[in-house]
Amino acid sequence: MPLLRTPRPAPPAEETRPLRLADGREVPVRWVRHPRARRLRLLVGERGARLTLPPRASIRAAEAFLHEHRDWLAQQLAAHVATTLPPLALWQEPQLPLRGEAVPLRWQPGRYARAALDDDGVLLQLPERAGERQARAALREFYGQQARADLGAWLPKYLPGLPRTPLSFRLRPLSSIWGSLSPGDALSLDLALVLGRPSAFEYVLVHELCHLIHANHSRAFWREVEKRWPDWRDERDYLRAQGPGLKAALARLAG
Amino acid sequence: MFFRNLTFFRFPATLAKSLDDLDARLEECRLKPVGPSEPMSRGFVSPFGRDEPAMSHRVGDAIWITLGGEDRLLPAAVVNDALARKIAEIEEKEGRRLGGRARKRLKEDLVMELLPRAFVRPTRLNASLDLEHGFIAVDSSSRKAAEALVSEVRHALGSFPALPLNAEVAVRAVMTGWLAGEPLPAGLSLGDECELKDPVDGGAVVRCSRHELQADEIRSHLEAGKQVTRLALVLDDHVSFVLGEDLVLRKLKFLDGAVEQLENSERDSLHAELDARFALMAGELKRLFAVLEQALKFSRAEA
Repeated sequence: MPLLRTPRPAPPAEETRPLRLADGREVPVRWVRHPRARRLRLLVGERGARLTLPPRASIRAAEAFLHEHRDWLAQQLAAHVATTLPPLALWQEPQLPLRGEAVPLRWQPGRYARAALDDDGVLLQLPERAGERQARAALREFYGQQARADLGAWLPKYLPGLPRTPLSFRLRPLSSIWGSLSPGDALSLDLALVLGRPSAFEYVLVHELCHLIHANHSRAFWREVEKRWPDWRDERDYLRAQGPGLKAALARLAG
Repeated sequence: MFFRNLTFFRFPATLAKSLDDLDARLEECRLKPVGPSEPMSRGFVSPFGRDEPAMSHRVGDAIWITLGGEDRLLPAAVVNDALARKIAEIEEKEGRRLGGRARKRLKEDLVMELLPRAFVRPTRLNASLDLEHGFIAVDSSSRKAAEALVSEVRHALGSFPALPLNAEVAVRAVMTGWLAGEPLPAGLSLGDECELKDPVDGGAVVRCSRHELQADEIRSHLEAGKQVTRLALVLDDHVSFVLGEDLVLRKLKFLDGAVEQLENSERDSLHAELDARFALMAGELKRLFAVLEQALKFSRAEA
């Protein structure tokens, strides 16, 4: 009965238009017409500036709106590192963020792509024919491996006292959250955590594990977190302050 | 009865003590026949077959358990066809279109009506627990099925802190290294099958089977930046398998080197035959796990 099924809504129409700022710079703004939008809305996220338009808003009104708020936009864009970071420099990038520190990165031609941590930092071996995409994939795998090693070291400590164990672990770049626990007990963590300080990563793990006891953010839940990680407020503040930078750094190196 | 796939989970080896009354606990969760209006039922059965008393079989520190199941086969197409007829009939009679909620209720009623007439398909899933290394090996390559078995064990024992296997090295990078000519761990050698993937989203995939893995074609794929996601390996001419980057072992085969010990001796009962086979398999699994644990640095489940 295909006629009865509600059709999946098409993604909102999107186009990118340049906007000239007061200092003469041009920045791209993504114009998105959204069927449920009520008013014009300008946002700055990790993918840069975005203008949301209601279905029938006029282009002239939107341009006037942008013009009015361009100083605010310039200020926000300056605060958002993601849009100003240079791209990954193939064969040249000198260091990598790892566990809250900058680790020296050495590039070396080899028979296959792999990145490994040794005493002198990270050695990234790459075939000569490989391009940026292969380098990013190797770095992503490297971060995944480092994160799994940390996870393997921390996890056994917390297992006693939990009603169940997570059924699976997934590490990948997440856009706005640091981790989640699905109703089926699948644990998902942001790969960017391994770039930041280890205590913050461990706190996020503890936080998600405590969701096995309470699948909410009630006081009882926070009591369980506090029992296992008394200084969680420090880590929360760290993630709020440094988090966007970590996510942006991961997107730049391995996204 | 030899396992053909392996999905591993780890549990603390200290758990061994709490497994003393395993049989009694499994007996409480014995498979019940699926009811006329139930879609499925799960429970433990004897590894030796129907109507056997033993709920598990222990050889040394290896324990063999079997999860049985009965699923009612009710194809969605059958339900949808019957539903479409019924809706057409009602609309004809009443002269109005049925709302969404009424359709849903109608569908539920139909499923209830059809379920008692559906075929029952029995399933069995074997698993082996190793108390020395603290692992459970499930005879399935499906994550979902393996997790369901572990959940049932957890349900039966009250608590069973099993974790999915976690490798502290990048499995792809290690397998790529092996294929590119780096030394393999002692005992392992390359088989004749592999899968290479370009590690970018939607990247190219190359699958080779019955192929010499040290050939130039494969080397040039690696030089273009592809990585190994599945690799056939052989352990000491005893076991062959395909190791995946998801740490699932597929196409597990026990080779002549291992099986010939079985053929030499005659056993008079099925029970004795299964006992001998499980003892052989448990020993091989133990050795296989130890080799892989060292090569891929599996995390331990205890602090």
